[in-house]
Amino acid sequence: MIRPILLQIAQILTVLSLAPLVQGLILQWEERVQRAQGPGIFQPYRDLWKLFHKQLVVPETASFIYWAAPVVAFTCMLTVPILIPVLTNFPLPLSDMGDILGGGLILTLASFFITLAGLDSGSAYGGIGSSRAVMLGILAEPTLILVFVGITLLAKSMLPFVVNHLLVGQPAVYWSPAHLFLVAAFFILLLVETDRLPIHSSTHIEVYMIEEGRILEYSGPLLALLKWASAMKQFLLYTIFCNVLLLPWGLSLQGTALGALGAAGGLLVKFAAVGAVVVAVETAQSRLRYYRYQEPLAASFLLALLAIVANQLR
Amino acid sequence: MFAAHLPPLAGSLFSLLSITSLLLAFVMLGSRWLNAYLGAFALQSWLIALLSAAVAYYGDYPELYGIAALTALFRGLVLPYLLLRITRRLNVDRELHERLSPSSSLVVGGLLVVFAFVVSAHLGATLGLTGTIAVLALTTMLSMKLIGFLMLMVRSEVVSQILGLLVIENGIFLGSQILVPGMPLLIELVILFDLLVVVACFGVLVRYLVVHAGTTSTRDLKRLVG
Repeated sequence: MIRPILLQIAQILTVLSLAPLVQGLILQWEERVQRAQGPGIFQPYRDLWKLFHKQLVVPETASFIYWAAPVVAFTCMLTVPILIPVLTNFPLPLSDMGDILGGGLILTLASFFITLAGLDSGSAYGGIGSSRAVMLGILAEPTLILVFVGITLLAKSMLPFVVNHLLVGQPAVYWSPAHLFLVAAFFILLLVETDRLPIHSSTHIEVYMIEEGRILEYSGPLLALLKWASAMKQFLLYTIFCNVLLLPWGLSLQGTALGALGAAGGLLVKFAAVGAVVVAVETAQSRLRYYRYQEPLAASFLLALLAIVANQLR
Repeated sequence: MFAAHLPPLAGSLFSLLSITSLLLAFVMLGSRWLNAYLGAFALQSWLIALLSAAVAYYGDYPELYGIAALTALFRGLVLPYLLLRITRRLNVDRELHERLSPSSSLVVGGLLVVFAFVVSAHLGATLGLTGTIAVLALTTMLSMKLIGFLMLMVRSEVVSQILGLLVIENGIFLGSQILVPGMPLLIELVILFDLLVVVACFGVLVRYLVVHAGTTSTRDLKRLVG
């Protein structure tokens, strides 16, 4: 009785504690590819520690939204791991609160509040960042919905656990074009949603900023919360990508402590593999001009559409 | 019917090949570079040749092996080579004035695929073939035809227009391979020769256009000359 609850708490703690590590890993590898030393993989933890001990400076124009946004974003990121298979491949208490669409809704809520916060203080860069983020959202959202529709048609269900079981149980479905195209479509979305290169700049110069632009006015502990929340968002999207779509194996089947620990280790291995691909894309791709943002997203839209068409056979 | 009773592995192989060739049609639609069109077209032809060979293997049609080899040779090598020669002679390596930006045409193409999907789903339901490879082949065929027509409409360079025609033809060929695999060899040969003649004629036409009109873009060819 008590074990499922403990497992659920362990899922949240896994996301909370490992999210900066994945971020650090990718940042270091990006530098290593360019033959630089790069920061250590634990640098994001040190950054968070430093920020939590800094003074808080609040703009005079800020309203309550400025205070609420980081807390809301952080809470949203703590809620999503309850809904998805992070460590176990069976539903835990409260996992039936929402399906994949519900998880997407909560992630979007966090993004919505950060956008509001970017507008709230009235600074120029916050406005630019918010407007660009909303533009990207408008382009990315239809694709996301289409990917969800594709998953639903594939598994006849919107619950991530059902999709996971289906893909593990039936290799024919795993290797069907419908699934492979969905993976490709979701990968492009993953790059867009986690601030990666075809869209986002790797160097943080104000004119290119999108996600960073929205939180430019923040400092100290609130900035730490936002950075942590963004690392967790990346971790969560990677979790959905790996555990639901791409690599549905290696989750705890019975929910023993050892199994959960192994699943956490497996998660890191999977994320390292996905991270390596992301680093390769970031190295090979240059940043797209602002008016060409729709191109990768149109391609992703199309892949999702083809996945749905390919699903006809069955 | 051959397509209605297939082992699952063959079904997924066929669907993978046909969906990938549909994807390559989209690569042609979404790219600005003529060389990318040519590469995608050649690859698409090779995939269709593979598909013919697979149909020959699973459906026991030995003459289809010959057609697969001819497809790979003519559509995969000769036609792209001839088109490459035309583009080299023209000194245009990209479509300069598209009427619709590549990403918009991708989305329009996606809508056309949805249309083809709905039409073939209805047809499949009427014929009692729902959930078989035949419906998927029909969808791919219709979408490739519509995408070819779209390319003819939104592109103005002569080479892209030829490629639009060839995409339509590839789509029909792909569909016929799965839907009616036992077509006589002679018809296939005639179609292949037809294509060769089309491309050769276009080559002559392009030469003529360059000399007499100074351009190969349909945008500049508006005036009727008697």
